[in-house]
Amino acid sequence: MVLSIFKVLWNNLKQGPSTDPFPFGETFTPARLRGKVTVDPESCVGCGVCATVCAGNAIKHVEREDGSGKDFYVWHNTCTFCGLCQHYCPTDAIRLTNNWSTAHRNEDKYKMKEHEFIAYARCSECSQPMPHMPHAMLDHIYGTPTEELENIYSLCPECRRQKAAQQFGAQIHD
Amino acid sequence: MSIIDAIKSKAVRSPWLYRINAGSCNGCDVELATTALIPRYDVERLGCKYCGSPKHADIVLITGPVTSMVKDKVLRVYEEIPDPKVTVAVGVCPISGGVFRGSYSVPIMLDDIIPVDVNVPGCPPRPQAILEGVAMALDIWKTRI
Repeated sequence: MVLSIFKVLWNNLKQGPSTDPFPFGETFTPARLRGKVTVDPESCVGCGVCATVCAGNAIKHVEREDGSGKDFYVWHNTCTFCGLCQHYCPTDAIRLTNNWSTAHRNEDKYKMKEHEFIAYARCSECSQPMPHMPHAMLDHIYGTPTEELENIYSLCPECRRQKAAQQFGAQIHD
Repeated sequence: MSIIDAIKSKAVRSPWLYRINAGSCNGCDVELATTALIPRYDVERLGCKYCGSPKHADIVLITGPVTSMVKDKVLRVYEEIPDPKVTVAVGVCPISGGVFRGSYSVPIMLDDIIPVDVNVPGCPPRPQAILEGVAMALDIWKTRI
């Protein structure tokens, strides 16, 4: 019983202080720590599910008036690092990094945001703007791509419906 | 001037921290206690120490979304802290209202009533992020003496 304290003392002497050297040196960061949010505009489809599930209303989608796409804002000063956006994102476009370094001066308060532009694709028939769908997402929805499917990928929902109706009509006539 | 500068450099020693809970859920307060009490983070390496009275404080850490019930009390305590003082907002609540923004009892943000110097967002922020914020506040405090 008495000797165990010497064991503890000896171990402490051997290990040195357990204090983290930060802010004078490097600190440890777990790989799965939930920190600042990043958005990949290439794989984002602009569905807005992240803005719907966001606990603190930190995510905003604003449509551009010219219909060229939408602006994607994430305000770090409202984000609670809950990770719901990452969980619900269908294309894994929004991710939580393990960057925890958030302290800033009050002058930079309104600069603490993530701003990305999500560009819309154009329909190849009528050139209407429509959400841009990454190929991986379409493969996930439709299965293995055939030539017929590849043709309708670039069409807006209206043109796609018309084309499908034409094909169906042609089948009936045959 | 050089004598005054020499005195200033000697005067900068140990700013004491004071904590105001402005309607916080206690999450950030736990992190503040962690930064001070756990040897791994140990805010006392920066010369900082929590004090019980606002009259002894130099750096004030405010947590919580300044609710309408606590607003006047926060102002009263804040007035008692002698100048020069540095204000640090800890957590997303005092900075933007956080998840409570838009609530009937959270009509204002902290920097509407108090001049805030450093923000440490997070829900709650990591102890390292709080240390970073306190180090930033220390730099500001040195320029104010």
